[in-house]
Amino acid sequence: MEIRSHTESEKIEPQMAPMIDVVFQLLIFFMLTLKIIEPEGNFNINMPLGAPSSATMEEQNFPDLKVKLRANPDGSLAALMFGGTVLGNDEAAFERLNRKILEAIGTPGGAATKETEVEIDADYNLDFRYVIRAISACTGRMQGKQLIRYVEKIKFAPPKKPPQG
Amino acid sequence: MKINRTNPTIPEPDVTPMIDIVFQLIAFFMVISNFEQVQADERVKLPRDALAKPPEVKPEHELVINIGYVRDKDGNILDKTPYIFEPGAEFRVPDYNARLQQEKRLYRAQGVDPKDVTVVIRADADVPTGLVQELIRMAQQAEFQKFALKAVQKTE
Repeated sequence: MEIRSHTESEKIEPQMAPMIDVVFQLLIFFMLTLKIIEPEGNFNINMPLGAPSSATMEEQNFPDLKVKLRANPDGSLAALMFGGTVLGNDEAAFERLNRKILEAIGTPGGAATKETEVEIDADYNLDFRYVIRAISACTGRMQGKQLIRYVEKIKFAPPKKPPQG
Repeated sequence: MKINRTNPTIPEPDVTPMIDIVFQLIAFFMVISNFEQVQADERVKLPRDALAKPPEVKPEHELVINIGYVRDKDGNILDKTPYIFEPGAEFRVPDYNARLQQEKRLYRAQGVDPKDVTVVIRADADVPTGLVQELIRMAQQAEFQKFALKAVQKTE
């Protein structure tokens, strides 16, 4: 019987072409489906059912803070009010609101932060961006990258009727 | 004179570096692709705010509602009426009540209490606040209780 003295040792090369095809398909898929979206954040709104009637006695220790936003006919901010105080309608008005909220709760992070509820009462035609500014001013402030929270509960007043005409 | 005969071989390019780079690119695009925000509508121009930080814990169930204007490529408003955008459909806010009731029934059918569902409202910065409040009121009638308003994180 003849025994092969030497078998030809061939270097087996894997087929690269199909893999490259698939890899390029994947690359094109990911490139085309790429959507650059800026990071979005949430402002939680506390709106349980029957909210207007649920102001019970236990919450009397920390009375609701009322923030009113009055609108011009074009939707811009006419006046920002905290309680009965008019704070203005410019950028500084929201900073003043921020300070007023801090004065009202005392120390951030305490019981007042958890229990105090801010009610936002905005005119129907007010641009939504001002409401977000007011919610932000009530929520707290940024210290570096850390959020110092003033108030956790924010709710809306019942919606008003749209302006006629 | 002796002539050196060389074997005619087919030149094979080295594909290894190319594959390395292509895999790097695929990994890059996979990492930055955002598959979570598929419900976000590009037509909605969210308000910007420094305190709008992405939530650390994502709610288990969320219903995303996009409300905004039909805009052109430059962002100019083409139609003064705000619409609620859904894939392939646009609703006026008062007409959305039936849709919310339908969502409530769908969650119920899945065994999810609407109270545990967070309604995420992505409202355009120029939308009248009253409409957002009406939307919240309609969602409350459909027994949704948790709400979150979206804003884009403003970077200094």
